[in-house]
Amino acid sequence: MAPGAAGPASDTGSVSSMPAEPTGRSRPAQAGIPISGLLAKVRPGADTVPLLVFSAGFGLLLCSVANALSRAALAPSPLIYWMGILIVALPIFHRLSSTDPSARERFGLVCLLGLTLYSVKVIHDAPLFTFSDELIHAFNANQIASHHHLFHANPLLPVTPYYPGLEGATSALASMTGLSSYSAGVVLVGAARLVLMGSLFFLFARVGGSARTAGLAAALYTANFNFLFWGAQFSYESLALPLLMLTMMLFAEREITPKASLKAWTAPIVLAIAAVTVTHHLTSYALAAALVAISLAYWYVHRRWRSPNPWPFALVTLAVAAVWLLVIAGSTVGYLSPVLSGAVKAIVNTATGESPPRALFHSSSGTAIEATPLSARAISFLAVALLTVGLPFGLWRVWKRFRSQPFALVFGVAAVGFFGTLALRLTPPAWETGNRASEFLFVGLAFVLAATGLETWRPRARPWLGRALLTGCLGVLLVGGAISGWPWDAQLSQPLRVSAEGKTIVSPPLGLAEWAREEVPGGRFAAPSADARLLLAPGGEIAMSGESPDIEDILSETSLAGWELPLLRKHHLRYVVTDGRALSEDVLRGYFFSTRESVAQEEPAQKDTVTKFAHIPGATRIYTNGDIAVYDLEGKR
Amino acid sequence: MRGHRDLRRAVAASVLCAAVALILPFPAICLVFAVPLCLFLPGYAIASAAFAHRPLARMQTLVLSVGLSLAVLALGALLLNYLPGGLRAGTWALLLVLVVFSGCRAAALRRPKPSGASRSTWPRLQVSKSGGVLLGGGALAAIAALLLAMTPVPAKNAVGYTELWLSTRSNARSGVVRVGVRSEEQHEVGYFLRVRLDGEKPKLRLFNLVPGETRMFRVRTAPPSGAPVPVVASLFRQDEPKSVYRRLTGLVPPPGKSR
Repeated sequence: MAPGAAGPASDTGSVSSMPAEPTGRSRPAQAGIPISGLLAKVRPGADTVPLLVFSAGFGLLLCSVANALSRAALAPSPLIYWMGILIVALPIFHRLSSTDPSARERFGLVCLLGLTLYSVKVIHDAPLFTFSDELIHAFNANQIASHHHLFHANPLLPVTPYYPGLEGATSALASMTGLSSYSAGVVLVGAARLVLMGSLFFLFARVGGSARTAGLAAALYTANFNFLFWGAQFSYESLALPLLMLTMMLFAEREITPKASLKAWTAPIVLAIAAVTVTHHLTSYALAAALVAISLAYWYVHRRWRSPNPWPFALVTLAVAAVWLLVIAGSTVGYLSPVLSGAVKAIVNTATGESPPRALFHSSSGTAIEATPLSARAISFLAVALLTVGLPFGLWRVWKRFRSQPFALVFGVAAVGFFGTLALRLTPPAWETGNRASEFLFVGLAFVLAATGLETWRPRARPWLGRALLTGCLGVLLVGGAISGWPWDAQLSQPLRVSAEGKTIVSPPLGLAEWAREEVPGGRFAAPSADARLLLAPGGEIAMSGESPDIEDILSETSLAGWELPLLRKHHLRYVVTDGRALSEDVLRGYFFSTRESVAQEEPAQKDTVTKFAHIPGATRIYTNGDIAVYDLEGKR
Repeated sequence: MRGHRDLRRAVAASVLCAAVALILPFPAICLVFAVPLCLFLPGYAIASAAFAHRPLARMQTLVLSVGLSLAVLALGALLLNYLPGGLRAGTWALLLVLVVFSGCRAAALRRPKPSGASRSTWPRLQVSKSGGVLLGGGALAAIAALLLAMTPVPAKNAVGYTELWLSTRSNARSGVVRVGVRSEEQHEVGYFLRVRLDGEKPKLRLFNLVPGETRMFRVRTAPPSGAPVPVVASLFRQDEPKSVYRRLTGLVPPPGKSR
């Protein structure tokens, strides 16, 4: 053990028996918030958890009200929504920073926070998926439900059926209950969220040796840019990441197990590794990388490769991921390599000044969107500034207290690495790579920041200041992270289904999808990206879009080139969808009703791009809803 | 599994949940039974077997049970894919019950007797009256939030529209043109539909639709003997009768050829 380092975490084998804070339980809860009326009867301590449950529910309701007003196209103040988020989170943050709660209560609070923030995503678009990846995975799940087998082709993201963990698991719930893939998927991802929060808590508790640090670190993780929306969608990473954290937790627990009991961990660990591998490519590689890093850190600390050094498991993970890649999911290479090589090229180009850096808070799809307000940008930058300021203090504390812990060392490296991903956000093609990586690296940053111990700062005149400051900082980090991770104009839900004279009407692209499902079952469509996704699910059709094959050019050019009809024929695309809306290629915003204001601002599409198919002899125009039309090219493809 | 009440209960619960989820036709009730079977019991059985000699804390067992159950579902799908029957309700139920039974059996064999774990109970939540009111209030608020999210709200600024579609087919006796009109407008709208088949007198229809209402029309004609017969469907709004609101074209195929 390195001199001066703290000893290993508690070896009780049970986190429930772990002290909430080494300094002990000191005093009743600070009554910083005045409670009156009905709440006057609430007993401090005993009723704190119910009070936090109430505030979480109330905050969620406030978010739902803000969403409802936005769906009504009333342009509500975003403050309602952010107030709702803060009402959910701040009381929990404050409670977690106290010395009072038991480890069990902290675990409950962390789960409450994770599940309530997940509910914020659920109420964003219930009862339909509207995130672009969700529609792709819902199609895969529906294919499994229809055919009772895996690996059916996905026309938009061909690699996804080869990582069927999420959709396969969804099929279990859906087939046994008769629920839709939406309902089953929401329940499944909710369960995964519970595993994520619980695993983080126990992992941090084991490494940090304190339930208080563990609770704060797990709460801090909710401030990562992707936690609120991207990481909560019905997508393979939403299941794979919790399973990765479960694996990490198992390794952390295994580390303190007596040698004779080490074998007990093998089956659960191998099961979790295999599940990650069949669920998501990047997460399985991240797991392998993490295990290699922990093995090396273990060697660095203990100077030995013997068990419990997890290097054999790192090898197993690498082997399983490689076998899956080579035997089942060979197309992953073709999918990931352009993304990664493009990211590297973009970094070089931006660093050498050959291409300008990416403008922050702008749409990558190129569509004109509502600008992020200055105040929101300021909070976002403030959040990054807080992370940056906290890092050196956290690293210092980690080195001082936890450098005998391999996991803590890896967390420290990951925390530094997180700031590298921020730099990637400044180059356009590398943005996505940085965004994905940040979700993994933030685990380390959360622990490092929680280790700063800000909550223990108690100036004599204002002993509450440390906790108040920490609570405020966490609030800024949560809101700033959410603003950084999801476009400002998409934070609130948009009108997809609208009540009109007591009946429900649906948006034009959803109307197209519902028509196709009823009238053209089994049809094959070439369509703009947003329409294509809805045609997949809930439409249940085969739809292609984008650049490969080059549907985008076929739909956007004003005249038909010689290669276009043969390409459609090659892919058996009998139906072509034209869409005059500017947002038809926007996979984040292209699913909703237009409003009078947006229509007034929209530049009309060039007429020939949407009418050129009418000039093909034998082609017929079989559907229209105004902006969107469908041409049947039977016999002329 | 004598002496291991938790394991006996887990097996019994898995059988009960599987049976109810398979038999009942009500998705919401099935979900109540399918969730423990899919998302808790398999993981609990595996965790019990793995840690038979060194039981984990209850909270860890909870996380591990849900997490390992998710892993079982992800890998179980792969297994079922290569077995006869594939991924169906019955095969899933059978697999999960088998996993639970095998795990519990292994746990029972490995556990020292009598098992401390089987005697221990899950922690009870002690809540005062005011705490209960707050918990209930929080749960109600969350349910209200979900219901509000699922309820379509009026959006007067949303631009409504009308769908028009057309399909054609023929048999030996006649050619048939089907024209559908669906209103996704914000209020009731009066329409005027004109269907013109090549060489025939136009067929006209006058009708109103309320939001969300669909009207289907069929126009019959003699089956084309040679080339397909062109058909044009034009929709007008009664408040703007001079401009075509929607227009579609089709071809009525000769018998035996579909469009």
